[in-house]
Amino acid sequence: MKSYLKIFIIVAVAAILTNCTDKFNEINTKPDSFTQEEVSAKYFITRPQFRLYAPDRYPYWRAHLIHTDRYAGHFCFGMKGSWWNDELGYSYHSGYTDASYDWLAGYIGDLDNFMKMTDEGGEFENQYMYAMGQIIKGLYFQMYTDVFGMIPYSEATNPDIVLPKFDEQREIYMGIIKELDEAMATIGDETSTGTNVDDIGSNDIYCGGDLQKWKRLANTLKLRIALRAHGAPGADFAGAAITEALGAPLLDGASDNVTMEKDIEISQWGSAAYGDVWYNFGTGSDWTIGKTLIDLLRDNNDPRLPMYAKPAAGGTAVLEKPEGDEAAKHEKRVDFILNVLTEAGVEFTRTDLEDGGVEITMDENVYYVGQPTRLNGKTQPYVAYQFFSTPENKIIERKNAGPIRAELIFAAAEASFLKAEASVKGLGGDDAQTAYQEGIRQAMKLWGVSDGDIDTYLQNEAMAQLDGTMEEKLEKIASQRWIMAYTDGFEAWAIVRDMGYPKVLADGVSDIDLYGLGDINGKYPQRMRYGNSASSKNGEQYNIAVSKQGPDTQETKLWWAK
Amino acid sequence: MIFAVCFALIGNAVAQQSVTGTVTGNDGVGIPGVTVVEVGTANGTITDIDGGYSITVSESATLVFTFVGMQTIEELVEGRSTIDVTLLPKEIGLEEVVVTALGLSKDKKALGYAVTEVGGDEISMVKDHNPANSLVGKVAGVVVTQGTGGPGGGSRVIIRGNNSITGNNQPLVVVDGVPIDDSGVNSGGSVYNSTVTGGGITDINPDDIESITVLKGPNAAALYGSRAGNGVLLITTKKGNRNKGLGVSLNSNITFDNPMILPEYQNEYGQGTQGNVPGNITDLKGASGSWGPKLDGSNQLYYTGEERPYVAQPSNFEDFFQTGEKYVNTISLDGGGENYSMRFSYTNNKTTSMIPNSDLKSHNFNLRSVVDLTDKFTVDAKATYFTQVLNNRISQGTEGVLSTILTMPRNVDINDLKVYQIPEESLNSISFGSLGANPYWMLYHDRNENKRDRFLGFAKATYEFTDWISAFVRIGTDVTSVRYESVNQPGHHFYKSGRLNFGNSRNTETNADFLIMIDKDLSTDFNLSANLGGNHSYRTYEAQSIYGENFKIPTRATVANSVVQRPSYTPLEEKIINSLYGQVSLSFRDFVYLDVTGRNDWSSTLGENNRSYFYPSVTGSFLANELFDRDAELFNLLKVRASWANVGNDTSPYQLYSYYNVASDGYLGLTQLSRPNVKFNPELKPENIASLEFGLEGSMLNNRLFFDVSIYNIKTTDQIYDVPVPESTGYSYFRENIGEMTNKGFEMLVGGIPVRTENFSWQISANFSQNKNSLNELIEDLEEHPLNTTNSGNLSVVATVGGGYGDLYGTTWRTNDAGQLVVDANGRPQASTEKVFLGNSQPDWIGGLTNTLTYKDISLRFLIDARFGGKIYSQTSAALDGSGVSVQSLEHREGIVVDGYVKQDDDTYVKNETSISGQDYWGAVSGIASEYVFSQSNIRLREFVLSYNLPNSILKDGFIKGVNVGLIGRNLFFLYKEVDHVDPEASLGTGNNGQGILSYNLPTPRSIGFNVNIKF
Repeated sequence: MKSYLKIFIIVAVAAILTNCTDKFNEINTKPDSFTQEEVSAKYFITRPQFRLYAPDRYPYWRAHLIHTDRYAGHFCFGMKGSWWNDELGYSYHSGYTDASYDWLAGYIGDLDNFMKMTDEGGEFENQYMYAMGQIIKGLYFQMYTDVFGMIPYSEATNPDIVLPKFDEQREIYMGIIKELDEAMATIGDETSTGTNVDDIGSNDIYCGGDLQKWKRLANTLKLRIALRAHGAPGADFAGAAITEALGAPLLDGASDNVTMEKDIEISQWGSAAYGDVWYNFGTGSDWTIGKTLIDLLRDNNDPRLPMYAKPAAGGTAVLEKPEGDEAAKHEKRVDFILNVLTEAGVEFTRTDLEDGGVEITMDENVYYVGQPTRLNGKTQPYVAYQFFSTPENKIIERKNAGPIRAELIFAAAEASFLKAEASVKGLGGDDAQTAYQEGIRQAMKLWGVSDGDIDTYLQNEAMAQLDGTMEEKLEKIASQRWIMAYTDGFEAWAIVRDMGYPKVLADGVSDIDLYGLGDINGKYPQRMRYGNSASSKNGEQYNIAVSKQGPDTQETKLWWAK
Repeated sequence: MIFAVCFALIGNAVAQQSVTGTVTGNDGVGIPGVTVVEVGTANGTITDIDGGYSITVSESATLVFTFVGMQTIEELVEGRSTIDVTLLPKEIGLEEVVVTALGLSKDKKALGYAVTEVGGDEISMVKDHNPANSLVGKVAGVVVTQGTGGPGGGSRVIIRGNNSITGNNQPLVVVDGVPIDDSGVNSGGSVYNSTVTGGGITDINPDDIESITVLKGPNAAALYGSRAGNGVLLITTKKGNRNKGLGVSLNSNITFDNPMILPEYQNEYGQGTQGNVPGNITDLKGASGSWGPKLDGSNQLYYTGEERPYVAQPSNFEDFFQTGEKYVNTISLDGGGENYSMRFSYTNNKTTSMIPNSDLKSHNFNLRSVVDLTDKFTVDAKATYFTQVLNNRISQGTEGVLSTILTMPRNVDINDLKVYQIPEESLNSISFGSLGANPYWMLYHDRNENKRDRFLGFAKATYEFTDWISAFVRIGTDVTSVRYESVNQPGHHFYKSGRLNFGNSRNTETNADFLIMIDKDLSTDFNLSANLGGNHSYRTYEAQSIYGENFKIPTRATVANSVVQRPSYTPLEEKIINSLYGQVSLSFRDFVYLDVTGRNDWSSTLGENNRSYFYPSVTGSFLANELFDRDAELFNLLKVRASWANVGNDTSPYQLYSYYNVASDGYLGLTQLSRPNVKFNPELKPENIASLEFGLEGSMLNNRLFFDVSIYNIKTTDQIYDVPVPESTGYSYFRENIGEMTNKGFEMLVGGIPVRTENFSWQISANFSQNKNSLNELIEDLEEHPLNTTNSGNLSVVATVGGGYGDLYGTTWRTNDAGQLVVDANGRPQASTEKVFLGNSQPDWIGGLTNTLTYKDISLRFLIDARFGGKIYSQTSAALDGSGVSVQSLEHREGIVVDGYVKQDDDTYVKNETSISGQDYWGAVSGIASEYVFSQSNIRLREFVLSYNLPNSILKDGFIKGVNVGLIGRNLFFLYKEVDHVDPEASLGTGNNGQGILSYNLPTPRSIGFNVNIKF
């Protein structure tokens, strides 16, 4: 009996312990993933590139559409049938704010991965690819800091620092310029990142692997941020940077526009387009174009108008007189809306109905009318959708239906506008008028305007002449840059805050019968509040930043806007 | 085959004889009313006033004598014609034998830690689909939070508090000694769209359960090693009875579910805005709140486009619900001979939800057989097959089914919503709001189906080498296949172009183990028992799915018809844990006990240096009554116990090294790689849970009163935790072993038999427990871990250092430095910029009180349970106020000047004079989190059973051997509750993120029904 027991124990223990641990490493290796040995650096560039300008629908909707495109004054919600009134976003909403912050803050991982791989000593060391990474990093940090202000920069991506400090904007701008300078120096006269697998080529969806274009992009970005910094407290570095940038090649001509072709098939959960919001929900999620933009285009006979916008659908709408609390405001709101139509040159017929309602009929698909920005919810029933212009089809095209307008990364026209601005401010030697008109020409070419139409505009329109006082000149440059930045709300919003134009936006709103004043009592939003994760993950540094920068509210001005 | 053999053996005619006798107590006095039954049959009688009885039985029969509060006695007849017996008082908690870790049966009095056993009848009588829900209120220290997701949903079971910040906090489930898999469970928790699927314990048929033993915490469970940190639910299933003929038992359980609680609605105002009913459809649909004028019966525009009388539909929300019906029918056959026993059962469950077109159908087949091949060699085997189809499992949250109608205008008739689409006009979903969200679309037009097939089985061979050495080997397996189909048809309110998701997954868990058991008296004073065992656990997971959106022909969502398709494939994931363990128990004169265990695990999920780890435990107990009260004058038992244990927790596969994933749909078709946003850690160690427990257990006054008290301190360290780091590090998380969390608690069980007379007895049992959780440290400078956040972000559920698990932080009313309420320029109240602490979502204490009253053949049992302390944020209540449908929203309808101050441009404050409408007021207030944080405290009548055994005098020797009928109820009503509108114990999910926020939950069902058990 004892021997049976012995046998039993031996067999049992052996059964458990054979292959005790020798297969462990093998079964704990993920079978459908790749290791560093199997891959190349170029496979890591595309993702950080598209995710900066066309992330998945979640941030695309919340950060781009709800916040920056609307703060920029380009787009409006709050017409009849919209889910929201146009106060959305001006009243702090932590869910939408967090989505925006988390996306921008969380973006860095992919880029950092690419840069660490291509950095000196990295697995795929390639100085040119690293330089590209530095330039993308510049684009990213400018976008990121211009939304929130102080953010972690100098200690970001440092493997030894888990809780990085928030840098002042001045430091960030200086840092970006330094990295751009390094990148440009690295690139030198080189044209490609290498040969075979080392050639980043078509995986680079900004510049197609053209290093010289990257270099011009870097230099133009340097000029943009140096001019934005110019005049801000302690921005002593800006003058030299502007001079340097003006002395080196900038983006120039139609082939130098940096745009990103849209993937018209990719799932909205991979990368989104405006159409993913526009078509997937019906009218509730639609939007119109802001009055400021339409007015600037229409009133100056700008040939881009039909490329940016579609005429108002027109037809008949009734502005009903409500019962209850809001009846007293009826006349005021009717007058307000009809005045908008009148200002837009709409010839409409008005019929006053027995119940106090007003029936309005206008021609269909004729008039370009922009919707006033920041109307409140009580005015919403007066904002008939068919009165207002909507984006041109190609901008909001749905996936799998046709070409979608490319994402604007950096327009070559901006280089000319920046030259003009530098010149007006006495910082550069270019002829301001020439540069300004070249900027308009390039900006129009970006949208496919014919040379003839461009010439007509440049010759005939007061808006095309850079004349008047210095302030008037700067207003024109700001306005043209702001028009050019259409569909890039991040940059357009920064232009309004930095340069103060279009003034009607920068001035904010005050009439509580018509406008939604938001949490900021009608002031223009100067920044977005940090996401909740900023304080929850890095509370101490967050508190230091807030104490330096000012309260974490939307009305706190950023360094360069002071 | 065993099954066939069994049938061949039954049905032999046997000789009958009569038996008479007297049943007395230990005082020699006859006991009347004792039940005398022939085992395996329904043949039985009851003793007369003097304790006498007479019965006719077969020659080979066994008689069983039972009486409330007395020990049950079995006597083999063996041809005797007179059998007198003496019944001794049942020594509650004393002579009980309980199942402990590894399935070892032990005398309860010898245990050095707390275990609680819940009997099968308490689980199968008031049947819940999920046996875990039957533990509510019955076991001290166990918090069961029921997912309110309708039929087939799981529950969250937490024993002695949460131990892990992000990992699993629920106990291991072991069925007949074999751990089962619960990883296929969808735990929900999203505030947007939360569905809770069952799996794990929910697949066990309540009718097959003999008992559930709750091994509380590491002390009792240390022998299970890595998986035991949160305790173990040991489920023992029924076996057949030996030495009896074939018995057939039918059990029918029919219950009807209706909402236990519904929101309190106002019926004075209807759809509109600012006191106006818009005169056009667009604006009317844009105004989906009940902020219109008084419902005066006048003709007004209705969302369908018609003019309708403007009147309230007081029951429109209630009318959406139907009576849920649950039919659970079980047939079981059991029987056995001298050398074998077998039991087969089949259960059919057909349940319809309170929600239309949502139902569950399941079949459960179970075969168990135990055969003695020789007098030393026994084979025990079981096979269970379970198959379930769930149609339209209810989703909760802001995109869930109830979100479409919970705040529907008070004048909307729910029946009108049944027209959810007018295909001639558009494919789009239609409703009273501009979103078009319609519950009938979701339930009748969309598809949401979940099928689960599961096989559980084991075979075990036990050999008795000598009278003090035995051993067994066992292999058990658990295979679960899940297949789901979810389709949003084109026109769906959120997915206009439609989408589909088809997938299947397969989880397996196979355990092979052995155990050598030694039990020997070393001397007259000392007894030694020792066990040595090992286990090889192999777990796998694999899945495939296909996602499609955007349909070529928009009328049907099929895979081939989708324009965008995204397949996903998870190749076989494997995990192995090998273990060796042992236990040594020493007892001295049956009153001092010492128990030492040790276990070593080798886990494949950890790196070479950390994959082997050892867990010890030491427990001791001492029967004090043996010293000072040997004659049991006061105490029948007084036990002091202490226990210390240390266990741990490993991790999932592939958590050590970084890797690159290739995107299946790269941008513009370009090859694209990315790495996870978690920085992995090859040096990961297992988590460590140390627990110390002391207890005092006693039985007194001739076993009429008993109590059991425990205190414990559980400390978790080295938690495997994804530290949320600022994204500027390049990662969202660093995986580390960090943190320290403690759970300190107190548990008490008190019970007794206050009354015991000839025909009547009253038994009472109360339990109470309290747990204090605290998070002592995370990692330097990191103070909190987010668990969940509301849609608007106005409230977060977090674990905070110095605070606890499930702290609620949310906005409150905005005030200025002078403490004055601040309103905006429009006169609207504002939420504070900062979030403040608003409470913790864990209860302070819970308790249950069970009373059992028996009068002759009638028995009444009811359970009242209570939960006190703990806060919950009700997004539901905020939505009810914000949309003007709640009774509360009647306040300020005529306008209000909020007593606050307006900030001026020069940062001074001026008294507010602007009047705002009720709509504006509640619109602002509903966004302020602190207004909607409520106490969870409540007391409810949880279970109720009134059952009646048809006396044998009626059945006599008929074909039917026994009948029991019961009237049963669950969640009957609240005796006390602080929050309006909602059940404060509801939850969004069963995971770590599912607690603390309510969002459009399905109302808790009140179940009332019948149970009929017939034995043939």
